[in-house]
Amino acid sequence: MINQYLETFMIFRGEIFKAFYETLDMMFTAMVISLIFGLLLGFILFITRSDGIYRNNTVYFICSSLINITRSVPFILFIIVMIPFNRMLIGTGFGVNASKIPLSLIGISIFARFTEQDLLDVNKNIYETSYALGANTIQYFTYFLLREARSSLILSFTSTIISLLSYSTVMGIIGGGGLGYLALSEGYHNFNYKLMWIIIIMMILLVQIVQAAGNFIARISDKR
Amino acid sequence: MKKLYTILASIEQAGEHMIRLENVSKKFKINGRDDTVIKDINLSINKKEIFGLVGETGSGKSTILRLMNGFIEPDEGSIYLRGEKLDRKTRHQLVKETSMIFQGFNLLSNLNVIDNVLLPTKIRKGNKKENIDKAKELLSFVGLEDFHQSSIRTLSGGQKQRVAIARTLITNPKIIFCDEPTSALDDKMSYEILKLLKDINEKFGTTIVLVSHDISVIKALCNRVAILENGRIVDIVSLTTKEIKPVSYKEALLSD
Repeated sequence: MINQYLETFMIFRGEIFKAFYETLDMMFTAMVISLIFGLLLGFILFITRSDGIYRNNTVYFICSSLINITRSVPFILFIIVMIPFNRMLIGTGFGVNASKIPLSLIGISIFARFTEQDLLDVNKNIYETSYALGANTIQYFTYFLLREARSSLILSFTSTIISLLSYSTVMGIIGGGGLGYLALSEGYHNFNYKLMWIIIIMMILLVQIVQAAGNFIARISDKR
Repeated sequence: MKKLYTILASIEQAGEHMIRLENVSKKFKINGRDDTVIKDINLSINKKEIFGLVGETGSGKSTILRLMNGFIEPDEGSIYLRGEKLDRKTRHQLVKETSMIFQGFNLLSNLNVIDNVLLPTKIRKGNKKENIDKAKELLSFVGLEDFHQSSIRTLSGGQKQRVAIARTLITNPKIIFCDEPTSALDDKMSYEILKLLKDINEKFGTTIVLVSHDISVIKALCNRVAILENGRIVDIVSLTTKEIKPVSYKEALLSD
């Protein structure tokens, strides 16, 4: 039986590697963008909250609503309604590059919420402590807040990556390709269930590796 | 020449008063209603003095401490640190000449002991090697020479507070603010911390402002004490401080 699976793998290895590359390509861009802008947006949420150091209800409401909207639209529909936006931004609504846009946006939204929550979990006294020790606001962020939230942020980002991986599987709808799309089109729709299972196993392994790596990095960075 | 004398006199005067509060009031909004916390405080704290602020919970003593280091801005009145007016522009500069010890220690749990002590120097920049030597010296001074690399979670409450004290000392502050420094500690550890604060005051000539609801802490340490009630100073009392002695549970129970 294993032989049959190996055979299927060998027959489709070209397609599998191509799809795997597409998945990694989409993921990499979306991860980098989510990390930078999600963190930034999370910080903005944290400081503009009603108990934040730069309280601003308008800014908080706008940012928070944008995140909620992005997360509440069913993702397949979100991909579709984003097509005109993709076209405006990079000239085409379809393909791997266009897929990176909705994927990045959902990544930013997820990670921003996580970041806000992680920063809220840091001891509230830390702001006053940083002031009393002579730190300015930027130093408060870098030397105090980020340092204390570090390991939670790493775990949150790990979860974000895993969410992105599952979101990336439906990108076939706008020609994004990737492993999920191959499993669905070649595997499920073409009755090649062996191929489908091979890809499911690959995805499981991928998630396991990402989670293990995230846990490891979080553990070595956490001295609490 | 006469002008020079007046300048010198004003410098002299500024030097005597480490901290001066003039008609300071502060209101906080609680549930949308104005709730006055601090009312018209006038206060001068001298160089090398250990000054206490006592009062019930909610009497505003911690708020006064935070007004003094500029963390909270007064609604009315002015605050001077070493003769310089504390405001939005000067507060980040002036606060660097002070430091603070908290009830909950407020150490960074992701840094080890020596990195916690070094944290204020990272903010200020300076010679790294010199700072490390100084941090080691201070950790010996507070009795933690064997704990440089320990993580904070492995320390007892008293040890944590001693790390916090070493952290305040590394920048040679002129003033140390203490907010209920021994409230989270048992009697024996409290005694050690109080003794340490007294030593610091004597060795470095540091002005110390101490907030506590615990009369025995205030009596053990302070030269002068302001008594607060509902955000007003009702009295300022001078004390003759005695030598701080450790008290066993038995002694404490049997004494009046």
